[in-house]
Amino acid sequence: MAKSNKMFADKAFELIKELERSSQTIPPFDDDGVRQVLEEIKAIFEENCAQAANYSTSGDRTLWPLLNFRHAALQRNKRCLLTYLYQRLLRIKALRWEFGPIIPEDIKTSLCEPEVNFFNTYSKSLASYMRSIGDGQGIDLTGDLRPPKSLYIEVRCIVDYGKFELEDGEVIYLKKNSQHYLPRAQVETLVRQGILQHIT
Amino acid sequence: MFIQDLRQDFYNRLVGKRLLIIVNYDIDAICASKILQSLFKYDHMLYSVVPIMGLAGLQRAYNEHQGDVKFVLLINCGGCVDIVELLQPEEDVTFFICDAHRPLDVCNIYSDRQVCILGDPALEENIPAFESIFCQSEDEDSENDADDDVGNDSGAGGSDEEGSEKAQQPPAHKLSRLERHEQRIIKQRQRRTWENERDRIMFEYTQYSFYGRSTALTIFELAWKLSKDNMDLLWWAIVGLTEQLILGKIESSAYTLEIEHVQSHVSRLTNKTNDQSNTSASKINFENDLHLVLYRHWSVVESMRYSMYCACKMRLWTLRGEKRLHELLVEMGLPLVQARQMFSAMDLVLRQEFYKMLEKLAEKYGIPDIVYGSFTLNYGYRNRYAAADYVYGMLAILESVKKDKTPEDCFLEALDSLSRNHRDIMLEGIENAKLLLSSIFKQVQSSLEAHQVLSTGTFFYYILTEENTYFSYPYGLTLLAKFILNGHVAGSRSRQAPELPLIASCPVDVERGLCLLVGIPPVREDSPKNFFGKAFEQAASKCNAVILQDFFDSSLIQIRQNDMAKFLDALTVLLA
Repeated sequence: MAKSNKMFADKAFELIKELERSSQTIPPFDDDGVRQVLEEIKAIFEENCAQAANYSTSGDRTLWPLLNFRHAALQRNKRCLLTYLYQRLLRIKALRWEFGPIIPEDIKTSLCEPEVNFFNTYSKSLASYMRSIGDGQGIDLTGDLRPPKSLYIEVRCIVDYGKFELEDGEVIYLKKNSQHYLPRAQVETLVRQGILQHIT
Repeated sequence: MFIQDLRQDFYNRLVGKRLLIIVNYDIDAICASKILQSLFKYDHMLYSVVPIMGLAGLQRAYNEHQGDVKFVLLINCGGCVDIVELLQPEEDVTFFICDAHRPLDVCNIYSDRQVCILGDPALEENIPAFESIFCQSEDEDSENDADDDVGNDSGAGGSDEEGSEKAQQPPAHKLSRLERHEQRIIKQRQRRTWENERDRIMFEYTQYSFYGRSTALTIFELAWKLSKDNMDLLWWAIVGLTEQLILGKIESSAYTLEIEHVQSHVSRLTNKTNDQSNTSASKINFENDLHLVLYRHWSVVESMRYSMYCACKMRLWTLRGEKRLHELLVEMGLPLVQARQMFSAMDLVLRQEFYKMLEKLAEKYGIPDIVYGSFTLNYGYRNRYAAADYVYGMLAILESVKKDKTPEDCFLEALDSLSRNHRDIMLEGIENAKLLLSSIFKQVQSSLEAHQVLSTGTFFYYILTEENTYFSYPYGLTLLAKFILNGHVAGSRSRQAPELPLIASCPVDVERGLCLLVGIPPVREDSPKNFFGKAFEQAASKCNAVILQDFFDSSLIQIRQNDMAKFLDALTVLLA
């Protein structure tokens, strides 16, 4: 099974390294890689099975170390696969906090079916939790990921946006290259959309 | 209306309200707005800052925000025009004006509610009295009636109205027709003399344009009264004040008076923070400095050559001037190798003694005014800036308009460059300022050698025919024009030369044929008062040239290239 310079579980380890290296928010799910690892596991298992059967009939103990070694390789493959999936799940969770309940189209294509399902369920349970707290009104926990330093922020307008109404009825005309001092909570979305720029 | 108690009548009135701040494109205004912004931040007041360039920009900015804001603050703009007339605001909008441009428009001064000028009326010069320029509206009505009557009398068919008016008059007040006529004529004559007098007063008042107190300093004093001042705010105020000196907006005597106040603020704030200070904390020092541009960031030779004062006194663009500069360096004991490398890389001993050596020899080489009092900012272990360095750096940033960089971007960059955590922007600005200054010098050298400064007998003029990356902008052109005038006068044998002003022009938009035109007062005149604003206006109306007086600085105008010759002729006649 093992080729000249290839070890067991190389493929699985490659999967994790690939995930670690990628600079994207989440790289596409490596269907092919996962399948190859699964095949490897299957092959190892079948070989082990055959030899184990051989042992039970003949009682030949010489193959025992080999059996143990194969089993360890199989375990390692399994651990690597689980790590791969778990790390992706963590990233998907982070997605929910960053982008809200709807996955952006370009990211959606890199998720596999079960992952999308997981995202939806996670999103649902997060939403129901947020609704349950805060004295019946609910709190948007995703609003401030880091505790804000001040209630107001200084922003600079990067594009011509037009009028923007604050919660207290104050109307602000957002024009390119003007600078404003506004309540953080209300302009945060505009900052995320790239209309305003937060200046420090 | 003047507001003197800024804390009570300006700041406290605004707390909790939203404010629109309209800022002119100049360094003083940028510093002032920066100080204000940090004040407003402490009190969580909403504000919007809009940079504008010129009157049209002011109008546009106001119209866009119209209806949404009730309080508008104009920084270094709008003081010299009738704001209510220009913007036609709603009744409930209040304007606060903090403007260093003078003379202030009389309508702003005598507005009773809508326009508030931040400043002390005692500091203003000869504002015409209310009675001498405005007459009561009732008077005006009746006199208008009188005017009408006169018109009717001289006309043919005015008897109807004549009759009706007579009917209105009570019978007891019967006067003979002759007497009434006489009275009317007397009244009319009075009115005419009064009008002439008013025109004379107004002309005298608006004849010269000049600059008043630095806006940044005014705003800083507000911060001080609110006990919210700190080192950074003070530094920005100093930069604002220094700009006025460096660009020749105020006399050096006015500057000297102001720095005394500033110095007391410096020592107060230094003592306040003393207990927690260490060597790396920011510190402002008052010290005598040299009128050498950016010499802390440049080499001594280059800095001396590109400084206007030094270059003009020693005529450094000539071979003899160059020799004299070398003589000076020899006498100072400064080896050429050292003088040609960056100041910061010079030997420590030479660096420490540089100021003293130059001060000692200044008198001998005819450059006694090279010493002036200024401030330096220290922070960290390496960062040391003179206020003038900041001014030149910001100037270069403001002028660094490129294809993909609008003037607004430059404004915001200049605003950023004031904060200490954007040191890189300032350093880049200083590098650009070196390029600007050296290209000014080269331009001066080549134009003086080619005798491009021409005289009409009443003024000099100097016309650039090609668009230039440096001189197509107001600051660049003004600096160049000043340098050229001083250089030309220094090299001219004519006794009349120091008394003549200079007009310089440079195309800004070749396709549309537009030129920027700037007037510089004569060298001999001590005060920076500039009479060109009014003169341009009159010359243009005389020769029907279309000029665009859009800048808040009235000595800067835009004119069509085709009208230029006509306009200069008219100006020659006017100034003769």
